[in-house]
Amino acid sequence: MLQLLAVAAFVLASSSAVFLAVLVGRRVSLASREVERAELRARLIPVALELVDGEGVPSGKLSRREEEALADALGELSKLVRGDARARIAGFFAGSASLRHQLAALSSRRSWKRATAASRLGDMGSPTARPALRDALRDPERDVRAAAARSLGLVGDAESAGEIVEQLADGRLPRGLAAHALLQIGPAALPRLRELTGHPDEHVRAVVLKLLGHAGDSSDAARAEQALVDPAAGVRAAAAEALGRIGTAASARRLRVALGDRIGFVAAAAAEALGQLVDREAGPALAALARGGGYDVARAAAQALGRIDPDGLRRTAALDGAGPHLSEAADLLALDA
Amino acid sequence: MQSIVFALAGLTLVYFLALNLLYLVFTLIAWRDVTRHLRRRRFEPADEVFASPLTPGVSVLLPAYNEEVGVVDAVRSLLALRYPMHEVIVVNDGSKDGTLAVLQEAFDLVPVRKALRQTIPTRAVRAAYVSRSHRNLWVVDKENGGKADALNAALSAARHPYVCAVDGDSLIEEDALLRVALPVLENPGTTVATGGMVRIANGCRVQGGRVLEVRLPRNHLARLQVVEYFRAFFMGRTGWSRLNSLFIISGAFGLFDRSVVEAVGGWWTDTAGDDLEIVVRIQRRLREQGEEFRIEFVPDPVCWTEAPEDLKTLARQRSRWQRAVGETLWRHRGAIGNPRLGIFGVVALPYVLIFEFLGPVIELAGYVSVPVFASLGLLSTRFLIAFLTVALLLGTLLSIAALALEEFSFRRHERGRDAAVLIAYSLLENFGFRQLQNIWRLRAYWDLARGKKQWGEQRRKGFGGPPPEAPLPPA
Repeated sequence: MLQLLAVAAFVLASSSAVFLAVLVGRRVSLASREVERAELRARLIPVALELVDGEGVPSGKLSRREEEALADALGELSKLVRGDARARIAGFFAGSASLRHQLAALSSRRSWKRATAASRLGDMGSPTARPALRDALRDPERDVRAAAARSLGLVGDAESAGEIVEQLADGRLPRGLAAHALLQIGPAALPRLRELTGHPDEHVRAVVLKLLGHAGDSSDAARAEQALVDPAAGVRAAAAEALGRIGTAASARRLRVALGDRIGFVAAAAAEALGQLVDREAGPALAALARGGGYDVARAAAQALGRIDPDGLRRTAALDGAGPHLSEAADLLALDA
Repeated sequence: MQSIVFALAGLTLVYFLALNLLYLVFTLIAWRDVTRHLRRRRFEPADEVFASPLTPGVSVLLPAYNEEVGVVDAVRSLLALRYPMHEVIVVNDGSKDGTLAVLQEAFDLVPVRKALRQTIPTRAVRAAYVSRSHRNLWVVDKENGGKADALNAALSAARHPYVCAVDGDSLIEEDALLRVALPVLENPGTTVATGGMVRIANGCRVQGGRVLEVRLPRNHLARLQVVEYFRAFFMGRTGWSRLNSLFIISGAFGLFDRSVVEAVGGWWTDTAGDDLEIVVRIQRRLREQGEEFRIEFVPDPVCWTEAPEDLKTLARQRSRWQRAVGETLWRHRGAIGNPRLGIFGVVALPYVLIFEFLGPVIELAGYVSVPVFASLGLLSTRFLIAFLTVALLLGTLLSIAALALEEFSFRRHERGRDAAVLIAYSLLENFGFRQLQNIWRLRAYWDLARGKKQWGEQRRKGFGGPPPEAPLPPA
């Protein structure tokens, strides 16, 4: 037993010593690396900014480290810029060693390397990477697919819209991320989105309607109006939400009917949408809901009434039995005045 | 007599082996998971989530009782959070100091007749206010009912589908809310709660609710707690999270699906450890219902908290934590060892019972009995010395492993000297601090027996530092 404890003590002491040595070694190496990195960064950030502003390209041949540091700086900047500036960044990377390196990393055996490469290629914005990113959309790993979808959204690749929508539909991509990528792709994604308003999965129908609310136009209002009678409450709420943005006068009529939906969050979404459409005819119904509906419905109705008819809200809130939601909305309105 | 000695020695040895084996396994899990998490950060879609109009809103709930010293900084840090849509709801829980007054002065509060959900009963709400300068800041003033009651009142005022509970003596880093929300946003409906890393702010340079420079505390007790927090969060939380059996999300910083919190009845007001109890209740309820869900620890969103710097306050805090463990275990005694609850029932809760709740008794029994037996000649002195050496080395190795993980991952203490000091403290904590903690935790048994419920006064120094030069943009 004593021998066993002695061996254990030796192993533990040695492990602690190794950990300590590694810690000290790392501190020392990091300190010198950080100095070098800071120096490189300080030198290359102005170069990157000039390049983005279109004021020049780096003169002379850059060393591999310098090129990597410049690529990092441009990758960070690319998230912040659009239009010509982004095109210049893409132009810089076209045919560069960094681009080739990331394209090669897309075939790595390690999924995190593939995902990192897919993400970096989006930051680089080079059109030559699009086919490889489309392939990465079919990677077996969800993280890689998500990174590829994000990058394809960033570069506005219309060709991938269909695939992203499919993957959004069957849950192979995180819904929020895929939705954002589709919004970035913009109108090119709309035809496939429109087809999916009839998808059998209610969650897909709901996300698609929300997206049409953000990226679609008034021609999509009819689809959303039809969805107001969908059997799934989540879809009805998403339809109401979309109509708040793209709805027409006809939509307002349908939304007024939806105020009577038996599911609270659907009625709340309808109330909010009527507020966004400033539908004066909904005033009395909203006032009634604000007085007597459940918490979320009453709150949404009172806020909507404040948008449509501020004076009416003040009058209604002053009446006996107006209820807390109308009082709150009136108080908030007074703050804005 | 000899058989009693052997039985006690055997029990101590089994306890020691089981606990440290678990810690070693968790250390390996933590290294693997934190490394994986860091790699994932390279392609994590945080910016996309921030920009997405589909990202759901979060209501940040801040209960405040006698927090006049630090509440303004805490609120500033919450208002500055980088998140597409969030509101901050501060509940002044009947403070006896000037908590409400300092908030009114700092944020230009205006009374509003706020509509409350009231799905969970709370002590009477006296008034509600909204900030004229930051329209996403609400202050609810209510009669004192304790932290859990204040959280329930805040829940009642929340309008977003997710709620994030924070402490009045904590500062949340700018991108922490977004990071802690990412697992929930990537797996909506499955991940129902997440918690972030809590670090100690004592000694750091803080200005206007932001930690500008990470430094070690000057106070020895606070330094010991820095090492302790690293170990608890990196090793413990990461390991249990991996097993989907996390039993606590720190009350200082935790994100929850509001509907789940409401469904389980909100925070339990009859305990000193509402943060532990609510997670155990959610785990138990969802497992009993056969739901597929996850509760996750995310290692990089950081919440900075003020650690006690005097023995009296620290003793009170540790005793309260221990009491919370006892109260929660008693309330959920039917779940301990219950195979229907999976690993949570069979491994996590028995761990809490044996190593967290009964740990002080077993350890102190060991400290007392072993020297006594050795002096009576019933135990070999050589064995005793060898065993204590192994125990000390193992404890030190685990602490160094946690520090090394921090060094290889987030490395928030940039000064090399700080790392050296922390290593020294990881050795020092075995001499006195650990034993003192056991004594403080023993006091909790007495408190439990006499049914003590109060939190006790907390002495705060605040984070210091004037507000930033540029005011925060109005929401």
